Amino acid sequence: MATYLEFIQQNEERDGVRFSWNVWPSSRLEATRMVVPLACLLTPLKERPDLPPVQYEPVLCSRPTCKAVLNPLCQVDYRAKLWACNFCFQRNQFPPAYGGISEVNQPAELMPQFSTIEYMVQRGAQSPLIFLYVVDTCLEEDDLQALKESLQMSLSLLPPDALVGLITFGRMVQVHELSCEGISKSYVFRGTKDLTAKQIQDMLGLTKPATPMQQARPAQPQEHPSVSSRFLQPVHKIDMNLTDLLGELQRDPWPVTQGKRPLRSTGVALSIAVGLLEGTFPNTGARIMLFTGGPPTQGPGMVVGDELKIPIRSWHDIEKDNARFMKKATKHYEMLANRTAANGHCIDIYACALDQTGLLEMKCCANLTGGYMVMGDSFNTSLFKQTFQRIFTKDFNGDFRMAFGATLDVKTSRELKIAGAIGPCVSLNVKGPCVSENELGVGGTSQWKICGLDPTSTLGIYFEVVNQHNAPIPQGGRGAIQFVTRYQHSSTQRRIRVTTIARNWADAQTQLRHIEAAFDQEAAAVLMARLGVFRAESEEGPDVLRWLDRQLIRLCQKFGQYNKEDPASFRLSDSFSLYPQFMFHLRRSPFLQVFNNSPDESSYYRHHFARQDLTQSLIMIQPILYSYSFHGPPEPVLLDSSSILADRILLMDTFFQIVIYLGETIAQWRKAGYQDMPEYENFKHLLQAPLDDAQEILQARFPMPRYINTEHGGSQARFLLSKVNPSQTHNNHYAWGQETGAPILTDDVSLQVFMDHLKKLAVSSAC
Amino acid sequence: MTRCPAGQAEVEMAELYVKPGNKERGWNDPPQFSYGLQTQAGGTRRTLLTKRVAAPQDGSPRVPASETSPGPPPMGPPPPSSKAPRSPPVGSDPASGVEPSFPVESEALMEDVLRPLEQALEDCRGHTKKQVCDDISRRLALLQEQWAGGKLSIPVKKRMTLLVQELSNHQWDAADDIHRSLMVDHVTEVSQWMVGVKRLIAEKRSLFSEEAANEEKSAATPEKNQTIPGFHQAP
Repeated sequence: MATYLEFIQQNEERDGVRFSWNVWPSSRLEATRMVVPLACLLTPLKERPDLPPVQYEPVLCSRPTCKAVLNPLCQVDYRAKLWACNFCFQRNQFPPAYGGISEVNQPAELMPQFSTIEYMVQRGAQSPLIFLYVVDTCLEEDDLQALKESLQMSLSLLPPDALVGLITFGRMVQVHELSCEGISKSYVFRGTKDLTAKQIQDMLGLTKPATPMQQARPAQPQEHPSVSSRFLQPVHKIDMNLTDLLGELQRDPWPVTQGKRPLRSTGVALSIAVGLLEGTFPNTGARIMLFTGGPPTQGPGMVVGDELKIPIRSWHDIEKDNARFMKKATKHYEMLANRTAANGHCIDIYACALDQTGLLEMKCCANLTGGYMVMGDSFNTSLFKQTFQRIFTKDFNGDFRMAFGATLDVKTSRELKIAGAIGPCVSLNVKGPCVSENELGVGGTSQWKICGLDPTSTLGIYFEVVNQHNAPIPQGGRGAIQFVTRYQHSSTQRRIRVTTIARNWADAQTQLRHIEAAFDQEAAAVLMARLGVFRAESEEGPDVLRWLDRQLIRLCQKFGQYNKEDPASFRLSDSFSLYPQFMFHLRRSPFLQVFNNSPDESSYYRHHFARQDLTQSLIMIQPILYSYSFHGPPEPVLLDSSSILADRILLMDTFFQIVIYLGETIAQWRKAGYQDMPEYENFKHLLQAPLDDAQEILQARFPMPRYINTEHGGSQARFLLSKVNPSQTHNNHYAWGQETGAPILTDDVSLQVFMDHLKKLAVSSAC
Repeated sequence: MTRCPAGQAEVEMAELYVKPGNKERGWNDPPQFSYGLQTQAGGTRRTLLTKRVAAPQDGSPRVPASETSPGPPPMGPPPPSSKAPRSPPVGSDPASGVEPSFPVESEALMEDVLRPLEQALEDCRGHTKKQVCDDISRRLALLQEQWAGGKLSIPVKKRMTLLVQELSNHQWDAADDIHRSLMVDHVTEVSQWMVGVKRLIAEKRSLFSEEAANEEKSAATPEKNQTIPGFHQAP
């Protein structure tokens, strides 16, 4: 229905929220029968150029177990200057500053158009941002040079008062003391032995003896005791020296004999980085940026030995339980990740190598802390250099887009409980009346911590309807949820973003049509996909696929229109029509199919899937395909082999790759050089159009995608051929009269076969 | 000044370039966009490629309108342009674009760049620590050496000329932005000495605001003896 699509879009634009259901089934029993859980995708820091933050702090409900923020759903008595919390019904007095409010003079937070509003926190010291570079020196000369240059360049992109530090590692780990004068010093640690945080802080001289002078000093950000800033100095003071220091970095001096890998002590290097920040700047925005060119081969966290003839684990090895180091290494990095998240810091991993680097074991470092994961072939590539530059992109206000130290607090009206969240976060273990016992994702809490985030970071949050069956619909007919995100803005100021939403309840038995019409199939697909990928981390692949298939069949049984036992009669309404397609492509996606990807690649793809907003997530599930031809303007076409035609140019966006594919005739024309002849200028424009559109995507996306420009018969065409639905293969017997499109050489099931089976199962009374 | 305003526009145009990626080191390495193009990217998007087509519910794929005849595609030429040739489209193949060539102009002069920088450093000597000044001086010497040795490319020289202009006009943010664009686009050439120029801009900026603040203070004192506003007083 057109009106619901508009409603969904407006809400996403204003609140950064997309719900799987926009009219909520009013009982627990009915809600479970909906198959797709009541859940939402929340982008806490969605860019809102039209929403300047207000310069005061939010008004909170006075009930200690509630503390909801004043919002447009609250009832207000302007005469008595009282407001009623819509979550706990407590009546609260307005603070004195609100003495002048009235019906015609409302504060912004009460106006419906400010369902999302941002507050600035005025009190408290503002601490600078911190960037700690942890750099692998076991790189080839070219790579190391390119990496050094990127790091030097980054000093020009960092804010002048940010603190920066450097740790380098190879066989040993060196913590560099940054000073403006004299000889540069560093502390060297063996890469084989892990140390506790206290040991690291002692050895670096960070533990201060108790000095009586240190009390009664108000905390001032620039005046940290000098002992803690030897390793982390402001950019404006240290940039020249650090530029030289970086310029002088050498490859790890330990010789690597034939048939061996370099000894790389990544585990200890990260451990020292975490301990250093823990001891000096806990609870303030900081990024540990790990740059690595190969797998950890020494010490705790090692992922493979130094003998080249023993390859790094593949999925096959993991299945056969033949990955010697995996469990121990994963445990090491998980401990580091949890400590880092507890300290409010985040860890980025920039891994550039032709072979795997251990992203599978290290992924928790990025996933739990909200740090970035970038995977490339070499530091000397445009993909790494530009992706790295884009971390420092500024927004419309000239501020960095990155934000730190966020806590997300979710409150629900009493008919709902919180089952969990899936995304780049950790649980804060906050129990309460809103918390459900049934967990989906990271559950058992109503608060999570997201140490690193940006305007596209998106969490999937899952709810449970707890109203009893046949209980009356709550008074007012609407349920409400409030999302409160407290965070450190890149300008170092603390802010609070509050989003409060409401949706109508409906009795599923009498108003199923309303509930159906308000189904958001795109959001539902992404939310189910996140659940599937979450499961895939701990369950066997085939089990996850079976679960996904079962949910799809149940959904079709519930909402399809059909005559029993008659598959040909099966129909889905418009609000469900794309859903089976999404599920089909999801099953084939690299998020659930590990075949043909290394464990590191799978970890990389899943990392990005678990944090992108809805539009980008959908692109990952079902790539976009646009067709350019002389027959009209560029148009979206079915992701199907029948869309591959001789007289078309196709542009495919999978999020990780941009593919431009020239059909056979187009390729022949290009080879013949028609684009250079003035009479065929429209052909030149046709060739240019997809390139311009590709450029727009390439210019903005993080991480930067790979770019494939290929044509019919080209070897790179396989990127397109492997993604399209293989409706025509060497196997199938589908004859649609003419030969349309290119047959794909595969034994994969096509969408048609999939849909046929789905319909048969849905209409069967045996299920 | 030997530079005319057109020079600036040309340099700015040249800043919006696309180079191919490093195909040797990275498979399907995407193209490299200049700093100018990347900072521009925040603007409105022309097209939003996010639409999808639903698969037909009855199972057969939609036969596209363009497919009319079976068999191998026709070998004839593409449909000719019906209109007179228009101006070429903006932009080039992201992967094969090269830096556009400049109209031939007189070379940027080294002295035009170095003298103002050295002057700026002199101005800062009272205000900035000796060690920092020495460090900056060392890097300016390096810049001179590389320029004189023909090691710097034309775009770098042109942008340095612009940077020095902005610095002389007290346009600190603009100068800073140019330094950033040089670090992003030409890091290999400039990294050794550019950080000195960056620091020089920062020191000049802080010196300038200090001087401005001092001027305000000294201007404030005579004000105490001025006439009270609103009252006529014979001059």
